[in-house]
Amino acid sequence: MKTLILAVAIRIFIPIFVFFSLYILIRGHNHPGGGFIGGLICAIGFIFHTMTHGPKETSNTFFTVRYYRLTPERGQGFLLHKLIILYKNLFRKEEVRTGSEWHKRQFRIDPIFIIASGLFLATTSGVFSLLANQPYMTGVWADYYLPIIGKPGTPILFDLGVYLLVLGVVLKITFIMAEE
Amino acid sequence: MLIVILAGVLLAFLAPLLYRWLGRYVSIPMALYPLSAFVFLASYLPQVLSGETINVVYRWAPALNINLHFYIDGLSLFFALLVTGFGTLIMIYAGGYLKGDPLLGRFYLYLTLFMVAMAGVVLSGNIFCLFVFWELTSLSSYLLIGYKHNKQESRDAALQALMVTGAGGMALMAGLLLLGMAGETYTLSDLLHKRELVTSHDLYLPLLVLILIGAFTKSAQFPFHFWLPNAMAAPTPVSAYLHSATMVKAGIYLLARLTPVLGGTEVWHYSLMTAGGITTLLGALLAIQHTDLKAILAYTTISALGILVTMTGIGSAPALQAMLVFLLAHALYKGTLFLVAGNVDHATGTREIGQLQGLGKGMKTTAVAAMLAAMSMAGVLPFFGFIGKELLYEAALGATAFKAVLFAVSFFSGMVFAAVALVLGYQLFWRRKARPTPLRHSLSPALFWPPLILASTGLVFGLFPAPLVTPVLRRAAEAMLGVEQLFELALWHGFTLVLGLSLLTLLMGYVVYRYSKRLLSYSSRFNILYKLGPDRVYGLAIKGLLLGSTSLTRIIQNGYLRVYITVMIITLIGLLVLVKNQSQLELDLSQSTVTIMDVRLYEVVLFILILPALLFLIRVRSRLTSIAILGMIGYSGALYFVLFGAPDVAATQLLIETMTVVVFVLVLHKLPQFRFVGSRFQRIRYMIVSVLFGAMMTYVTLLVKQYPLVSGLKTFYGENSYLLGHGRNIVNVILVDFRALDTLGETTVLGVAAIGIYAMLKLRMDKDH
Repeated sequence: MKTLILAVAIRIFIPIFVFFSLYILIRGHNHPGGGFIGGLICAIGFIFHTMTHGPKETSNTFFTVRYYRLTPERGQGFLLHKLIILYKNLFRKEEVRTGSEWHKRQFRIDPIFIIASGLFLATTSGVFSLLANQPYMTGVWADYYLPIIGKPGTPILFDLGVYLLVLGVVLKITFIMAEE
Repeated sequence: MLIVILAGVLLAFLAPLLYRWLGRYVSIPMALYPLSAFVFLASYLPQVLSGETINVVYRWAPALNINLHFYIDGLSLFFALLVTGFGTLIMIYAGGYLKGDPLLGRFYLYLTLFMVAMAGVVLSGNIFCLFVFWELTSLSSYLLIGYKHNKQESRDAALQALMVTGAGGMALMAGLLLLGMAGETYTLSDLLHKRELVTSHDLYLPLLVLILIGAFTKSAQFPFHFWLPNAMAAPTPVSAYLHSATMVKAGIYLLARLTPVLGGTEVWHYSLMTAGGITTLLGALLAIQHTDLKAILAYTTISALGILVTMTGIGSAPALQAMLVFLLAHALYKGTLFLVAGNVDHATGTREIGQLQGLGKGMKTTAVAAMLAAMSMAGVLPFFGFIGKELLYEAALGATAFKAVLFAVSFFSGMVFAAVALVLGYQLFWRRKARPTPLRHSLSPALFWPPLILASTGLVFGLFPAPLVTPVLRRAAEAMLGVEQLFELALWHGFTLVLGLSLLTLLMGYVVYRYSKRLLSYSSRFNILYKLGPDRVYGLAIKGLLLGSTSLTRIIQNGYLRVYITVMIITLIGLLVLVKNQSQLELDLSQSTVTIMDVRLYEVVLFILILPALLFLIRVRSRLTSIAILGMIGYSGALYFVLFGAPDVAATQLLIETMTVVVFVLVLHKLPQFRFVGSRFQRIRYMIVSVLFGAMMTYVTLLVKQYPLVSGLKTFYGENSYLLGHGRNIVNVILVDFRALDTLGETTVLGVAAIGIYAMLKLRMDKDH
């Protein structure tokens, strides 16, 4: 279903969808909104993209991480090697792009990873209270306020987990349906 | 106490990592754990020996009477020391036996997990706690038997063991629950004093039967014995530890533990004596018909387990004492012999006794261990097995009923044990030294020390029973009998009748050994019986189960969405009618007329929008149109939520409607052509179902409106959502804080559903290609 207007418009709209969904997620604790609705809104943006450009294109554009990898030197620590790669990729793009010892790599973030990380986040958010010797999933709250987010606490993490999970589930289903 | 269990579980799961770091030295930390557990438990000895019992309780779900309760008295300490002490040697042995195996780390994981579970079983003081550990032993046994998972035989044996002991576990669970109900407590130490209450209870018979099934499956009693020989597919350390020394004795432990509560009745006596007696005979008979070392050992183990059950069934003080002594003696010598068999297998590559001879030269230490253990098994004088055998005969002769039968059974098994001992201790190693079976390699110390230590323990215990074992066994016997008992073990009783019978056993054993070839040729005539044996019944039952579930699945999972929905709706209506008949709720429409008066204009507009849309939907003949109409109805519903002040629900509904339409559009061209399915009759049927469902929902809604639910929940959430949950949006606070566990469950289901859809469509796609 290739309509030109939608195809062009959705590329501009996707950031708006994402930011709006994050806004809905964050405001959810005090106003209508929350992780479930936020996740759905975010997913709908990508669904429209999939409808107009196809699932391959969507996953290439938004769910693929491209980076340059350096072969590790002998005796170099594992962590140091990864840190160098991270630093150079983020802040020294020119050097990385032209340097001959850097190799282009990419990996696709399958929606199943988003589902898994959402579930992981939601499950582990309840563990913090165990450390405070309270039952699993008792909310643990900080005493201060942050700008935008408000009072940070583990239920916010839980909501973020739900957000990611819903996003992942909808994306997964859409990608399969559209691929077939 | 808890730290022993937790440390074990932690170490178990670290085992694969440790193997990667330490290589073959992994057996050192793995063996240190049972050793330290042994020392820790032994530190309770002074207390227990002075007659105290120790209770350590950790609250788990106290409202349901489920507690992590450890109870230490003579009996449990005896078993726990056996489990951990034996475990130490097995851990060392396994390191040598499976040297270089890439999966050794995983093996240690399973083995340690089993040891923890087994220690948990014998130390549990709460019924539920006991059951959890009991099932854990079944599971770890499954993993251990199936360790060589690339072999079909191993996998089948593992599954069979799991099925049999698992089914027994189910029965045990029911039995223990009934026992808890009958005794009005779920704490074992309290149950021990409730004998009158339990034995006179109406539930006594069913609970006894269920518990016996649990114990018999675990301890491989007839007719559930068939899984044990098959379980010999496991690596030898497992056979020695689980299927000879410890796990199969869990059933015996349970019977011994519950003797003060359940024992003493006629049913108890006769059922245990019958099952035990048959098992003893059967095991002994089958043992002399096999030529595979491990199979012989497995069947003699079954026979020994039968003796233990019989002795528990007799239930008199001498019988229970004999049971304990024989149990210890059996664990020591049978464990050794299994390890010896493992060594022979390891060094020569075969376990067929026909192909093995003259091994004594190449593997001296093993041969010495085998000889010591075999003498204990045969019941030769200075060994612990001798004391055990004497006591068995005494107990059988002192029984009140069926004296002759009981004695004949124990005599027969003693005879077979002596014959088998001759094969294992003499024939393999010392007879015909001329052309010894070639050894593939020499054995490492980790392989020959553990059997030697075990076998010498049998000798030491036999020589000095009084200071070493008597005190513990006395307290263990006390735990079963409930009263202080005189309990003395001595090697030499003087020239009594029992001594004469003992010697006769040895003599007859030699005769059986001498003529074993001829006996074997006779026994092949019984082969037809095996075709009707329980192993075959098990095979047929599994086949039947698979066939049955296949055809049931074909009926239930027929793949027609409309059938699923119809069934769901009709079930729902049926349930509602049922509930309606039982409650006194009456719908009073006169109140509802008042509410009709204050309908707002928006609501009327929405109503006018929805009703024609519905009518139109029925007649429409294009899928796209019907989806669009459904979307419109959904949006109107969402607007209702807005009107009634539920913006969260409305937003969710709107988004879901949007997505449904979009997803439908995505798959639209793949669906079959849209048409009315079925005949006029079918259409009318679906219409009736739909109308019924609509009527039911309306009815329920009106009813709920008329009888509003009185609860403090609304005010509670309203008051506390900001104070406790730090949020002003009550719906969201409920979802992510108050009832976060529910949300977690729901989201998990969502994730699983996504994977399910993926699998379903992917499989279809693969099939198409």
